[in-house]
Amino acid sequence: MALLTLKNIGKRYEQGGMALWALKDVNLTINEGDFAALVGPSGSGKTTLLNIIGGLDSPSEGSVHLNNINITELSESELSNFRLMQLGFVFQSYNLVPVLSALENVELVMVLRGFPGKQRRERATHYLRMVGLENAMQRKPSALSGGQQQRVAVARALASGPKLVLADEPTANLDSENATALLDIMYNLSQEEKTTFIFSTHDVRVMERARRIIRLQDGRIVHDEQKEFSPKAHA
Amino acid sequence: MKQRDLKILPAHLLIMLAWRNLWRHRRRTLITLSSIAIGFGLAVLFIGLGDGSHNSMIRNAIKLGEGHVTVQPNDYLIAPANHKFITHGKSIANELGKLEIQGQVNPRISLEVLASTANNSVGTALEGVANADDRRFAVLRQDLIQGDGDIFRMERGVLIGEKLAKKLKAKIGSKIVIMAGKQGGDSQSQLARVAGVFQSGLNEIDSYVIVSNLQFARQFLIGEGGAEELEPVTRYAVFLDDPDSVTEWVDLLNTTFGKNNISVLDWQQMMPQLVQFIAIDDAGNYVFLVLILIMVVIGIINTVLMSVLERTKEFGLLRALGVNRTYLLLLVFCETLFLSMLSVFCGWIAGGSIHWWFSHYGIDFSELMSTEMAGTHMDSIIYTELSLDRVIQLTCIILAATLITGIYPAIKAARVTPVEALHT
Repeated sequence: MALLTLKNIGKRYEQGGMALWALKDVNLTINEGDFAALVGPSGSGKTTLLNIIGGLDSPSEGSVHLNNINITELSESELSNFRLMQLGFVFQSYNLVPVLSALENVELVMVLRGFPGKQRRERATHYLRMVGLENAMQRKPSALSGGQQQRVAVARALASGPKLVLADEPTANLDSENATALLDIMYNLSQEEKTTFIFSTHDVRVMERARRIIRLQDGRIVHDEQKEFSPKAHA
Repeated sequence: MKQRDLKILPAHLLIMLAWRNLWRHRRRTLITLSSIAIGFGLAVLFIGLGDGSHNSMIRNAIKLGEGHVTVQPNDYLIAPANHKFITHGKSIANELGKLEIQGQVNPRISLEVLASTANNSVGTALEGVANADDRRFAVLRQDLIQGDGDIFRMERGVLIGEKLAKKLKAKIGSKIVIMAGKQGGDSQSQLARVAGVFQSGLNEIDSYVIVSNLQFARQFLIGEGGAEELEPVTRYAVFLDDPDSVTEWVDLLNTTFGKNNISVLDWQQMMPQLVQFIAIDDAGNYVFLVLILIMVVIGIINTVLMSVLERTKEFGLLRALGVNRTYLLLLVFCETLFLSMLSVFCGWIAGGSIHWWFSHYGIDFSELMSTEMAGTHMDSIIYTELSLDRVIQLTCIILAATLITGIYPAIKAARVTPVEALHT
């Protein structure tokens, strides 16, 4: 069942009086439960596309439909609300609020969404345990390694139960061991929680674990491949 | 999609984030707070000294002058003259007695006279006072440098200032002829004898004033047609125990005497030059206060703006997670509010301590400057004074200024767009 539909998405930038198309004629459907990777070289439009899907940026043309809501027609405050209620984000870096502990960072979105205190504490603890940080819940981000910080971000992205998690190069700043661990955590959670994941990456480790590879080049989708589940890749 | 109302946004999160953000750069916050506290302390000191010196001048001026409230003939203030006096002083005194004024009422006679000795003649003012409790007499008696000054025992005894004594070449026991002009061109004179010489330190008083008992001065009013049995006087000087009740008493006395060709004036109307001097001096203090305020504002804007600019990514992250602009605006505004409140708190600890010290031990200005100002004098040791009004005024000014200062950084934070912020 389609969760996300992109229709004729185009993103144009003006530079020195010339129009540059970062994205052009992008049509895409993401189904519920997909674990999809947007891949392609730098400048191919991966991050721009993720930003548009996440309502962080607006397309110059076309429309984005998530859960039958055309988000390109939402006002700015409605978009804020949309992101809060429907999406989870994991960024390449600077994912956490420095003055909050790991537990508080995971609780943040749930606080904003109005989850009752007991429920959000239980959920935050549960997800931190799932990402292997049960002993680091009270630590501030400055006391966590880069890999641990990304795991907290994953826990936060999932804890409020969003429909879709968008991750922009989540392993870019991690070493091989941490990157593999994070990907396994994300994959396992996507399976357990039935949450849809879309990544932008040029990390082959992410691509190996993705169930669907969407390749972008010069702002256009040039390849869209659905992979069979490979137990070897997830071993 | 469920829409969240701003009203139910979690205030506890806002307060917690704002407070923790404030202490993110502990050293910077402490330096800002210290500089504001020092500035605030200086402002409290200077305002306290200003108020202390002004109040000292006012108290002295009232003591040596005509009291908090003066009851005198209608046009005396504009054009004083010997023939202008209250003819029926006795009945006015009775009315004043019935009002049960909390304080002291001194009947007085003021005359423009010529004082002459065998050596010299000088234009002076003769001030008749009723008894030794008269505030002016009591002050001048403390300043006696020659004689016992008992003008109530000596029927024709007078006190004169040391500068006037020099001009007249008079000493204790010297005869002085006091001559006053009468309405119509005639004159009348009385013989007086010097019973004391005072040195108040005020040029105007030391070189111009002769003090006699009321009965001696009243002879001139009788010569002007006043009836002795009606006890004519120039004025009644009312000294109130509670100086803050001046307006109420002026209103009451106006109601009582206003129709009888009599004016009821407060000390500010009687001493406009002093009021003007204080207003000008206050203006100088306000300029200083503005400078302090600018320092405080720069301190706070520097801290908050730096804090906002270096957190662009964080604001972008929060916006991406679904935090709306209003919430970010409130967050930064809340940080400014905390910083302002802490600044005022630290400022009052510093300012309060400084004020406490100088209100107890004072500062001796006698070596530094003349204590004579605007026709009166301030005490040589000035003690800082701070009224509750000043405390509220200073607190409100600092809080308001800092909160206004916080508007720009708050707007800047609210304008952050997630895409740009996360890619800076």
